[in-house]
Amino acid sequence: MTTVIQTLAALRRRPMRTFLTALGTALGIATIVALLAVAGGAQQSAGKFLNLGTSDLGLFQKDAADPTTSVLPLSMVPQLRRTPGIAAATPLVLLVEQIKKSPAAIVFGANPGTFVTDRYVFTHGHMFRDPHQAVIGSDLAASLHVGIGGTLTVGRRHFQVTGVYHIGVAEQDEGAVIPLGAAQAISSKIDEATTIAVSLSSTTSRRAAVRTLGHRFPGLLVIGDGVPALRAGVNAELLSNIALVLAVIALLIGGIGVMNTMLMAVIERRSEFALLSAVGWSGPQIAARVIVEGVATTILGAAIGLLLGVVGAHLLVSVLGAQEFVTPDVTAWDLGRALLVGVLLGVLGGLYPAWRAARVSPAQVLAQR
Amino acid sequence: MSGARILLEHVNRAHGAAQILHDVSFGVEPGELVALTGPSGSGKTTLLQLIGSLDTPTSGSIYVDDIPVHTLKHPAKFRRDVVGFVFQLHHLLPSLTVQENVELTMVAARVSRRERHARAQELLDEVGLGGRSRALPSDLSGGERQRVAVARALAGRPRLILADEPTGSLDSVASARIWALLAGLRERHGTTILVASHDPSLLEQSDRGIAIADGRVSVPANSGQLDREEVA
Repeated sequence: MTTVIQTLAALRRRPMRTFLTALGTALGIATIVALLAVAGGAQQSAGKFLNLGTSDLGLFQKDAADPTTSVLPLSMVPQLRRTPGIAAATPLVLLVEQIKKSPAAIVFGANPGTFVTDRYVFTHGHMFRDPHQAVIGSDLAASLHVGIGGTLTVGRRHFQVTGVYHIGVAEQDEGAVIPLGAAQAISSKIDEATTIAVSLSSTTSRRAAVRTLGHRFPGLLVIGDGVPALRAGVNAELLSNIALVLAVIALLIGGIGVMNTMLMAVIERRSEFALLSAVGWSGPQIAARVIVEGVATTILGAAIGLLLGVVGAHLLVSVLGAQEFVTPDVTAWDLGRALLVGVLLGVLGGLYPAWRAARVSPAQVLAQR
Repeated sequence: MSGARILLEHVNRAHGAAQILHDVSFGVEPGELVALTGPSGSGKTTLLQLIGSLDTPTSGSIYVDDIPVHTLKHPAKFRRDVVGFVFQLHHLLPSLTVQENVELTMVAARVSRRERHARAQELLDEVGLGGRSRALPSDLSGGERQRVAVARALAGRPRLILADEPTGSLDSVASARIWALLAGLRERHGTTILVASHDPSLLEQSDRGIAIADGRVSVPANSGQLDREEVA
């Protein structure tokens, strides 16, 4: 305890050195937090892609380059409906870059009266009833200045807007829904769908259903939440892997930075450790002092890094121009992990310097003139 | 508390091809204040390092009381419990207060906080710095820093004080005060004190001198006849 108190006091009396050491850690932690937040945001966004309920699954073509490029035959729908544990199955077509004034908007092709479309909550109007009608998300309606009775142009087709919905999911509220047949015609996917959403019966667990469907339809990718949804696309998976690699690199850089800074501090203070040894401190006691100092500094660095990371995540998304697709998702778990990483960095980065400090020969204190 | 007895037998120390000490043998009785004199590079510092277990001899044996210093497995414990060092440079830790510097040995010995504070204050009073306990070393003069170093050396209640040129960087007034401190320490506690110094006035205040030149003890002490059996 005394070592901790004395070490903290010593750090306080060397504010500039402490700050600069902590800053090195802070940058590493900030990078980790920012990447985790962006990756988490991307996963969450992907998970909300289909507005799946807790007892639903989405089926995509395995190994599709992107969720929107998945192609599934409509003939699968009756097969799925006959599968034990599945209460309903409905095809969906996803269209992107088909609304000229809002190319990022996703247009869903769906049949009315299905379990997917029945979940829409309309603030104005109602679900479409004929092939030339569409419903539009509240955010898209606002950005296009289109209301009930207005016209929505998808590809080269014009649809009369019959309803405006708001469900609180950015990808949905910034998009629109048109009849399935119209979407198939626009995308030239006759008798095909991008994905098939299935609703499970109340007695079927999601895990069991995923296992059954994977066994019966090996060409399908079955998704149930955000993470697999992200994996539905090879590109998205690549991005996820890049984020992971960058986080590991940031971790290594942070660790090496801490180790280097601590090592420099130990080399610079050889006479201090030699003095401690000369007055009776054992090797483990000296090493503990170095590690306590490393941990204290990295905790301070982690605290600074957490703040920088949260700000940095939003900046990163902004710089990449991906605000419309990704909202950085900073969770308490992310912050906790980053803090834990900071402490581990302090311990691991301080081990070698501590070993060096514990081996400083005290004879050099007497020899120094 | 009584002083320690020292016995060196045929001690050699070499660094590579350079022979620093040649077959050094002498003894020091408990409570003696002995001056180790000799020119720079004669081996005084190496001798103190060997006795204080900061270094190990190439051959020969060193005993402090019944402790075989030349084969110690835990030299840090020996330095903490038996020896107090005073160096030419004070070597106070700049980020610690005067009191925290004095407490360092006691921290290593896991002495309770209350006892540490009381002991440190008592020692600072003894060296005339009782009112500066919260000051940083940078706030003190050279003489004051060296007095703090003396207080630090006494913190573990050592039986042996090894002082290497303790007044080498001080003016005459500050030097006289340090000598008085060491002499008073010997008088009050009977601590054995071995001082390496160029200062000729030290010889007048010490019980006897041991001269060393080119790594050889040229003027053996009177108590050099001590043998190992006697110590044991």
